[in-house]
Amino acid sequence: MAAKSKKDLLVENAILAPLDWVDERTAAVRGTKWFLFRNVPRDISWAQTLGSAALTAFIVMAVTGVILAMYYEPSATIDPVSGKSVAYTSIESITNELTLGWLVRGMHRWGASVFIILLFLHMGRVFLFGAYKYPRELTWITGVLILAMGMLMGFTGYLLPWDQTAYWATVVGINLNGTAPFAGPWLAQFLAGGPEIGSDALAKFYALHMLAIPGALIALIGVHIYLVTRLGVSSPPWSGEAAGRERPAVEPAGARAGLVRGSGGGD
Amino acid sequence: MARDLGELNREDFARYKDDVKKEGKPFFPRAIFHDTVMSLVVVGIIVALAAIWYYDAGDTPEGEGLEPGILGPWYTEPADPATTNFVPRPDWYFYFLFYLLRIFKWPETVFIATVGIPTICLILLIGLPFYDRRRERRPLHRPVAMVAAVLTILSMAVLTWKGATAKEALGSELVLLVPSWAEEQGFVGNEEAEKGAKLFAESGCLNCHTYLGQGAGNLGAPDLSEVGATNDAAYFVQYLTNPAAYGNTVMGSYSYLGAENLAALGEFLAASKGTSGG
Ligand code: HEC
Ligand code: HEM
Repeated sequence: MAAKSKKDLLVENAILAPLDWVDERTAAVRGTKWFLFRNVPRDISWAQTLGSAALTAFIVMAVTGVILAMYYEPSATIDPVSGKSVAYTSIESITNELTLGWLVRGMHRWGASVFIILLFLHMGRVFLFGAYKYPRELTWITGVLILAMGMLMGFTGYLLPWDQTAYWATVVGINLNGTAPFAGPWLAQFLAGGPEIGSDALAKFYALHMLAIPGALIALIGVHIYLVTRLGVSSPPWSGEAAGRERPAVEPAGARAGLVRGSGGGD
Repeated sequence: MARDLGELNREDFARYKDDVKKEGKPFFPRAIFHDTVMSLVVVGIIVALAAIWYYDAGDTPEGEGLEPGILGPWYTEPADPATTNFVPRPDWYFYFLFYLLRIFKWPETVFIATVGIPTICLILLIGLPFYDRRRERRPLHRPVAMVAAVLTILSMAVLTWKGATAKEALGSELVLLVPSWAEEQGFVGNEEAEKGAKLFAESGCLNCHTYLGQGAGNLGAPDLSEVGATNDAAYFVQYLTNPAAYGNTVMGSYSYLGAENLAALGEFLAASKGTSGG
């Protein structure tokens, strides 16, 4: 390996050097390797894909949501041409006129339900596996918050088409908020933005739906996946080869524990 | 020598990490392969649902896509605060809440359904790792957790199902009852009151209130069959214009109906003195 071939040099200069440069400053390459090149228990399988399936559904929602936001207009003002509200008209044209607009809107609409179902399934598998126990308590808590945020996404998004279903479900929803003690009436007042639910409410729901809640969700998902990577995924607890299974006590328990402690290493 | 829980937990986890390191499989590409297959299935299902929804909806004279297919219409008619010919219906994952509301329908208890139960559920969920502290993870050795899980799933399923099948009368059907209301309440021939009764049927009042056995009884709204026995038309007009002034934060203002319509509603409410009173 005395002289490097031309090709090797090229690779080194064009790809590896910039990567090193970035990695030296950000640890991004080391981070990616840390995420990808790690071991997981050998007995995990389909039940443990539900979390990443939920992530995929979320990404579908984000991508289709961005496209919808390019064409949707959150205004309850009546459009003089169509005689319907601007929001409703924009939804109509996304569905009917925009190329593949129906697909984008349909995927966003049904992706929401799929996302919620996957969250429940994922949570169910975590519960069944007892995977919320030490040391994964915070993974579980970020998960519960994600679920709550996901449902809020559904609530705020439901109003946006500004059709009868949307409008009346939201009227009831806002009135529900109004029954809460202390902050309830204030919250209802804030959301409704006036005596009647109109453009003000629509603008607020839109801002929450496409900015505030997704921002919080992305942050929570980031923490969640960091924790999952750091702590590892647990084996099915009934598996004979589960990682961390108790071994029959061949030697005195104390000695065994000491041995494991010693070889555990890492953090 | 008894060791405390924290120590045992840490030992378990150290053993877990050791096992994963020695006998685990690589996340990339082995586990990522499963994840990718599952993700493709998910995207496929979403696209399929979108396509079924789009192609199964039909057209009506009012517009394209308004005739619902198995996954519903593209959209319903434009929002119209004035004519509530419409059953308010949240998305399916709120049906359980929607149905809880009908169980706790008395004014003092609405709060239990809207805030109380969801808050308790959230606290129970968040707190789970802290009150379930046993190290045991095998489902068959966690009978309490499993029974609780089954009960939770069953009650959510029942509430969602009940919410999905709950029937509310539509304004258009309620209007047909106006003559029988006039008869029972004895305001036949009082045109103003009959007009008010129609408005009452169409404006969604019965999504919350009950009247002569019709309506939802939601959110703590009282039965209005005998409401005319207590107050007069002028009072009701004022009440409907600004319910909040009477301490009613649940019911929105109906001032948008206009003075004429409000007067008719007031007349109707005042004429509703109940079947017994005469
Ligand atoms: C979102 C639910 C809701 C809707 C819709 C609604 N109400 Fe109410 N209404 C209530 C509640 C809740 C109360 C009781 C408030 C209280 O006890 O302070 C109430 C109280 C009233 C009262 C006072 C009853 C009394 O005993 O003094 C009248 C009158 C009334 N509503 C009429 C109407 C009419 C007419 C409509 C339709 C135009 C209507 N409401 C629509 C929830 C609603
Ligand atoms: C956007 C939503 C979510 C995403 C993207 C996500 C992602 C993931 C991923 C990729 C894993 C790895 C193992 C697996 O897939 O099963 C995981 C594990 C985990 N998730 Fe989630 N999750 C989400 C929501 C939730 C919810 C709602 C909960 C529970 C309330 C939860 C609790 C957990 C716990 C405790 C683990 C660790 C499980 C173990 O180590 O065996 N997550 N999550």
